[in-house]
Formats: sequence, C-alpha cells, structure tokens
Amino acid sequence: MSKKLHATTFAILFGLLAAIQAEPLSPPDVKALLGRIKEKRAGAPQIHADFQEEKAIKMMNKPVVSAGKVWFQAPNKFRREVKGNSPSVTVSDGQQLWIYYPKFQSAEHYTLGKRSPLDAGIAAITASLNLEGVEQTYNITGAREGNGYVLQLAPRSPSMKKMLQQFEIRLNEALQVERTEMLQPNGDRIVTIYSNESRAPIDPATFAFTPPAGTNVTTPLGR
Amino acid sequence: MPLHTTVSRLVTQRRGLVWLGVAFIAAASIFVLVTRMHLDTEVLNLLPRGFSSVEGLKVYNRDFAQVRELTFALVSKPGDVDKLEEFAPQFAESLRQQPWCARVLAGSPIETPEGIHDLQAMAVPLLLNLDPAAFDETLALLHPDRIAERLRRLHEEIEGGSPRPQFELTLDPLGVIAPALKPFASNAAIEEDQPLTSPDRTMRVFLTVTNQPTIGAFDCQKLMKEVNAFRAKAHEGWDGGPLEILVTGRSAYVAEISVSMRHDIIITILGSIVLVGGVFYVGFRRWLPLLGMGFSLLLCCLVALAAGLLIFGELNMVTVGFCAILIGLGVDFAILIFGRYQQARDDGCDHTAAVDEAVKNLGRAVFFGALTTAVGFLALLLSNSGGFTQLGVLIAIGIFLAGLFMMSVFFLFLPRDTPPLRSDWIFTLVKNYVRWTVKRPSTMLWIATPILLLLALIAVLPKPRLIFDASTQSMEPKSSDAGYALHTIMDKMPSRWEPAIAIVRSENQQQLHDYWQKVAAHWAQVQESGQIKSFSTPAALALSPERLSSNRDKLRTIDFAASRQALEGAIAQEGFSPETFASGLTLLDELARVAKPGTVVPDWRTLLPKSSSWWFLVDRYFAHDPLLSTGFVTTNEPITSQQQKEMLQRELPVAGVPMTLSGWSFTLTDLVPWSHRQLILISTMMAIFDATLLAFLYRDWRLWLIQIATLALAVAAMIASMKLLHIPLNLLNVLAFRLVLAIGVDYGIYVLLVWQKAKQLEHDVAGVVKPVILAGLTAIAGFGSLGLANNPTLAGLGIACAIGIFWSLAATIFFTLPAAAAAEPKLWREETPQTALKQTDHV
Repeated sequence: MSKKLHATTFAILFGLLAAIQAEPLSPPDVKALLGRIKEKRAGAPQIHADFQEEKAIKMMNKPVVSAGKVWFQAPNKFRREVKGNSPSVTVSDGQQLWIYYPKFQSAEHYTLGKRSPLDAGIAAITASLNLEGVEQTYNITGAREGNGYVLQLAPRSPSMKKMLQQFEIRLNEALQVERTEMLQPNGDRIVTIYSNESRAPIDPATFAFTPPAGTNVTTPLGR
Repeated sequence: MPLHTTVSRLVTQRRGLVWLGVAFIAAASIFVLVTRMHLDTEVLNLLPRGFSSVEGLKVYNRDFAQVRELTFALVSKPGDVDKLEEFAPQFAESLRQQPWCARVLAGSPIETPEGIHDLQAMAVPLLLNLDPAAFDETLALLHPDRIAERLRRLHEEIEGGSPRPQFELTLDPLGVIAPALKPFASNAAIEEDQPLTSPDRTMRVFLTVTNQPTIGAFDCQKLMKEVNAFRAKAHEGWDGGPLEILVTGRSAYVAEISVSMRHDIIITILGSIVLVGGVFYVGFRRWLPLLGMGFSLLLCCLVALAAGLLIFGELNMVTVGFCAILIGLGVDFAILIFGRYQQARDDGCDHTAAVDEAVKNLGRAVFFGALTTAVGFLALLLSNSGGFTQLGVLIAIGIFLAGLFMMSVFFLFLPRDTPPLRSDWIFTLVKNYVRWTVKRPSTMLWIATPILLLLALIAVLPKPRLIFDASTQSMEPKSSDAGYALHTIMDKMPSRWEPAIAIVRSENQQQLHDYWQKVAAHWAQVQESGQIKSFSTPAALALSPERLSSNRDKLRTIDFAASRQALEGAIAQEGFSPETFASGLTLLDELARVAKPGTVVPDWRTLLPKSSSWWFLVDRYFAHDPLLSTGFVTTNEPITSQQQKEMLQRELPVAGVPMTLSGWSFTLTDLVPWSHRQLILISTMMAIFDATLLAFLYRDWRLWLIQIATLALAVAAMIASMKLLHIPLNLLNVLAFRLVLAIGVDYGIYVLLVWQKAKQLEHDVAGVVKPVILAGLTAIAGFGSLGLANNPTLAGLGIACAIGIFWSLAATIFFTLPAAAAAEPKLWREETPQTALKQTDHV
C-alpha cells in the first residue's frame, strides 16, 4: 500500500515537473520541426536501433517486457527481432508481414494493404520510424521539453482511431526517436524505448523472409 | 338472307336492339373487371415454364429471406472518404431505428463484440457437428496438458509481438470454437466475397432485412415510400460534399415496376389513342366514325380483359400493353371498312346499302386478317411464358372481337347522311401512285427490289451483328432508381458479381447434412481444378443428428473438472487476466452440461438472437423451411456465355443429390437457346402457316410467291434496321418476328385479294391501298406508343414490332403492288376506258 502510494506521488510530481518544463510549440513550429526531421532523414532513409518494450495489455495481469533490435527502411520495410526466452522475428517488405517463432518453428503470414486492423497497427508501429508525411495521417501537436521534443499524434482516419487513440513520440536534441508511447482505445498501452540508433545502410535482404524448411506457416487472417 | 344483308339491316334498322346488346356486354365486362381485377407484378412470370433454372429462381425469390432484403449504398466524393467512414456507423444506427428495418449488416459481424458473442453462443451444436476425426482432435485440446501448453504458447507469442493471440483470445479463449467454426469460416468471409466497402472507399454498402408483411406490390410500394422518406433525411449529420444515398433490392424493383405499370397503361393507351386517332382523322376527316372506332375498340379491350380475368384469374404486367396493341391492330379493320363504306357512299349508295357493300366486300378479308393475326398471337402459347401466353390469348380474343364489332357496333356511329369530302389529297396521292406503278411496275420494282435486297443482304451478313442482350439489365425498367443503385454498386465493386445458386431440398436434417457434405467435397475439387473461383455452402450449419449423438458419447469421456482446473491454473501461471477467459469457462460448463445424458442439444437457430448480423449469412443458405437450402458458386467471371453455363451444369451436380441450378445470370444464359428457338423455329412455323393459308386463299402461285417474297423481304429489312440502329434483341422481344409476320401478311391479303377481283383498278385498288396505308400507320403508331412504356419488355416488343410493320407496309406498297401488276398486267388493260367500254358492251 505504502509502495503504491509512493509510486503514484512520484508519477504526479514527475508529470507536474514535466508540464512545468514543457513549452508548447505553435502549429508553424511543429511544421518547421517536421521539416527539419524530414530534411535530416532525407539523406539516410534507413534506421537501425535497439529497443526495449513494455506492453500493458488488458488480457495480461502484468506488463509484458521484451527487448531486441529493429531495422527500418522508408517508406514501409521493417524488421524486428525480439531476444530472450520468447524470441521472434517480424519482417515486412511493405506487402507481406511474417512473424517467425524459432522456438516453435512456426510462422504467421499476413497480407497487408487490405485495410484490415493489422494495417492500421503496422502504420502505428512504423510511424515513429517514418515521420515522412505523418501530418497527413495524424493531427499533430508538439512541445519542447528540455533539449528535446515531444510530439502528440492523434489519428485522423476512423480506421486508425479503432486501433490507436494517441501516440506520443519523444525526440532528442539530434531529432532521434528516444521513446514512443502508444495508447489504444481498449486501454492497452505500449511504451518503446530506442537506443543506439544508426543510419548506416541496411542490406536489402534484411527485409526479405523465407520460412526455414519445416516451419509450420499459418495465415491467421485468412487469404 | 346473306349474312352481310342481315348485318346491314340489324345495324341500320334495329339500332336499339344492338345498343341494348352493347350495354349488356359492357356492363358485364365492367362487373368482371371491378370484382376480379388482380395484377401479377412478378417479373419471373414472364419467363418460360419448364426450365428448372426459372423454377429455381422462383423458389429462391419466394422462399428465402433475401426477398425482403434491401441494399443501401452511400456514395461520396473521393475527398470525403474519411468522413464517409465516420458517417457510416451513424447511418447504420439510423437504419436500425427505422420501424421497417428488422436487421442491418454494416460490416463483417466478426469485427463487432456482439457478432463474436453470437458466434460463441452457437459454438456447442456446431462443435458437436464436426466429423469424427476433427471432433477427436478438438476434444484433445481440452486435455489439461494441452490447455497449459496452449496458454504458454499464447503468452510467448504476445511477447513476440504477434497480433494473433489477441484475435484468438477475444473469439476463442478455450481454443475449441475455431475448429468448430472451421467449416463455417470460408462461408463467413463476407467482407472478402461480397465487400461492403468499395476499393476506392467512396462507397459503403449496408444490407438490411425489412419487416414488410408481404412481398406483394402494394406492400413494396408502402415500404419504399417509407424508405424514400428516410433517404430524404438520412443526410443529417453528414458534413461533407455531395452524398448519394442509393437503395436497391427486390422490393425497390417491385415498387418501381408496379408504379410504372400505371404509367405504362396510361401512357400507352393515351399514346395509341392520340396517334391512331390522328392518323384516322387525317385520312378521313370525320369525327363520328373516329368516335365509333374508339368506342368499338374500348369495348373490345373491356370484353377481352374481362375474358382474360375469367380465364387466367389475374393479369400479368406485360398484358398492360395489350390495349395499345389491340388499338393498333383493331383500327385496321375500322379504317378498311370505313374506307369501303365511304367509297360506296361516294358511288351513290345509301347508308344501308353502303354498310351492306362494306361488309360484303371486306368481310372475308377482315376474317382472314383477324385469323392470321390471332394465330400469330396465339403462337405465344408456345412461348411457355405465363405473361406472354396471357397476352397472346387476350389479343387473339380482342382481335376477333374487333373484327366483329367493326362490322356491327362501329356502324351505329355512322350518320345516315354524310356529305362527300371536298378534296381527299391522300386518296388523290394514292390514286396517282397506283396509276403510275401499275402502268410502269418495272420502274418501281427496279427501285424497291435493290433496296430490299440490300437490306436482306445486311440481314444475313455476319457484320454488323444483331445485338442479342441476355443480361439482367435487359429486363430492368427504364430510368430505374433501383437499377441505377445496383449498377453503381456493381461498377464500384467489380469483384462483386452474382453467383450461381444451387438449391437442395431434403426430407430430413440428416439427409440435408449428408447432401451438403457431398456437395462441399465435390465443389472443393471443382475449385481446385480452377473451374470456379469460390463457393460457399451451408454444410457447417446443416446439423447431423447421427454425429451429434456419437460426438456426445465421446464428450462424456472428458474430465471437465480437470480441464477447468487446468485452465484456471494456466491462466494464473501465465499471468492472463481471468476476464479474458470468462467466455471460455462458460463454454466449458456448457459442454459439460450437454455431455450429461438426457440433456437436449440446443438448435443453433434458437441460440442466435433475432437481431444478430449472422442471420444475413444464415438466411443466404436456408429458406423459411430449414430443409430447403442453397449453396453459392462464384465463377471466375460473370456468367454470360453458354460455355460457362454448360460447365456449371456439367461440373456442379453431385450423384444422388437432387439439385436445382439457378441465379439470375445463370437463368438468363440458360434461356438464350429458348429465345433463339422462339426466333427461328416458331417464326418458321408461323411462316409455314401463313404460306399455306395464302396458297389456299389466292390459288394463284404467282401472287402467292409475291406475297411470300414480300414477307421474307420485310422481315429481312426489319433485322437489317435493328442491326443498323443498334436495337438489341432480348429474351422476349424476339417474339416480335412472329407478330410482324402475322400482321404484315394482312396488308398483302387486303391488296392482293382486291387486285385479283378488281374491275376498276383506280377505284378498287386505290380504294384499298389508302386504308391499308392508314391501317399500317396506325399499327406502327399503336406499337410505337409501347416504346414509351417503362417496362423494357413491352417497350422492346413495341419498337421491334413498329419497325417490322413499317417494312411490311413499305414492302406491300412498293413491292407487292408493282410485282402483282407486273405478274398480271392484263388487269391494267381491263381498267382502260376502252376495256371498260368493252366490258359494258359485253354486259
């Protein structure tokens, strides 16, 4: 009880402190910031980073924590490798999405672009890595916090709204993504922290996936 | 006393008696019309009997709930697609609140919490209906070890970032619903097979089931009035650009068709009266005969309609064209008879003698004219179509009555003293033409024959093609809102075309199950071979009492207490929230309950709420009688060709399963050979009948040959005109050919019979050619007025007939007459003053 009270008090104080320090950006400033990000990323449209993720989802009592590496190539290719006890590899070339579980020798195969809930989910996941044209999909507000920035993204389209209520991106002084927080309409919350960002070229084979022999492939959303 | 004398005395000296008879007939007919009038608006009754596809379509329309289905579509501009997506749920909710709306489908039911809950509710009977191997495999999932293993794996997949566990646990926490629904899953893919959103997102489709009490025309009209009132205010809350709210479905079509019947009746009758009356007045410039003709024709229509009601019990919508056709045909007799009567009066005869002369001279021609026309229309009996059979019988009755009334009732309106016409420019023109063409028949033949032969050549050449339209569109009313809505939906969703349907009737549940198991297995092979795109059947929903019994026995071997304990333990172990598995625990309890002996397994129909969107899927497969069911086969492309239809007829049936293949596209394609048969075989039979009759009538091979050539050239010219004007033939207006043969032959009969017996060429032949021209023009006007009808069948038939009659008339005047003059030139010599003098001398 006492521990819980302390945690709540700390969170409120932290929030207040952050609020005092936050300096809201005007729409032109947000636009200018997005312009700077775009300019910075134009030369290197790929990113490679480590991540740590914490999912607080309704169907689990405790948050699910995972860590791994992520690769992204604009506009829509990505790869995500989760390490630890439950390893997985998620690969998308923009049209197909594979999730491979080496431990079970099984893979899930999804076809993107059918306006399924999955598309909106993928778009949300890659939004932080690909801020190109993000203002067309989201209503964006921003604030300067310390040396960095915080962008609040609210989805515009109803299909996105079904998947995502709010999306917060924290950028450091070098305009690198440090932290994202995704709030879903059902109350699920996913916080991802990125580190060791690199913009070195990525081998195209990174975004290709062929299930190893003997893999049990399923298509959970049908054709 | 000869018949013509009896008639002439009756109508001139016993007028009161004739009027009394007329009043009695009219009153009796009106009584029948008022007390027995019943209109059949079912478009399917126009299609021929004896085709299983047609019968199947009737069963599908009558016995399946889709007959009460209305499809709404919202269409926005491309810039408003996001607004449309946001507005769609609001519109769906407005639909649900309408008093006439029983159910709404606005998206795949599996995407809504209610849809998932409904599916979970009917899982037990579907699970027990699985085949033994699948059931054993599913039952194994309830083993404590398997439960623990499954939850561990789901946990790891969540950690791995997979979205699958979330979908799976929402629908199927226990893991046994998915296997139970697996056979059903392919059917449930509504969004894939029949998408509710267009690919460009500018259109959203909503399916509704209405609660209209009957599917009759008046209830459809009442419903559509309410629906249209809803459409008018349904834009509320929409803040984008222009938004179209479209609606289609059987009720929408029936309401439009039944309302347009009224329009068709009024417009075709008014059109006929104005055009026919106009031609008559221009020809004779007399009001009283025009009135008499109108009255006689009205009497014909009344009596024939009353007779039709007494014979058939109801009148099909196509018979609304009957009055216009009868006016167009019956007026021929009036014109011919009045023409001859007027000529006799001009020759100095008194009223009685002129009536006698007209009946005497034209009685035979009118009789044979009525006979050929009546036989032509009675040939519609061979069409096997209820609507066209009625039309044929009504016109056959009407045309005989027209012949009868024009030689009796019509004379009641003719004044005893009629001043002669000061100048008759039409007669003068006709006389000049007759004189010229009889003197120089070869000149006219050199002009007319090449033109007619050229048209005949065009008719027989493969190009340009005669368009044959067997599409569903050819049966739709013109300017139809329901049709526009349907075509907009089809255009925006090219993948959404009508499947073929297979109707299966069984005697009991077990048989229904066995039938569909066989069919599903066979169709899977056909799909595998690439001959069809996809299929869906009610196999998963057709419960097998035998399987339910044997699977329940197996269910009793499960230790449900252990399974429950294992599930609760695994939930805690893996850190899942208990709420996620609440429905799984309920299902486990339900399985334990039905495993007990003596417990009744509920029918899934009773488990599905009435408002559930899943009923849209269920109603596609099952009629009101659950033993009557249907499966759907989507072809690789829309069904338009005989090859596709034959492939389906060859590949889809399964030995031992009584199956009726149908669907609109399938049926119309199935009817194409019938329609060709109507065109070729029955028209040929009609031509043979005409040829025999003419041979008997003329007993002169030259005149017979001339008339046969005239008919052939007229029909060829009709085909050529339709080719050149791009007027399509459809399944029903092919009947026009036989009608043209029946009507066209009359003109030749009138001209050639007079030609054979003419003493004074100028007097006799010109005296009949003028009425023939006027009669032809009135028939063209009568049939042409059908072109104003909204009913495409009627309009198509009218236009095709008008073209055919035009060419029959033209061929008679410009080919038959000069050809007869060329074949028997002596007739001209008889007319010269010298010959006339000689004749007088001889007399």
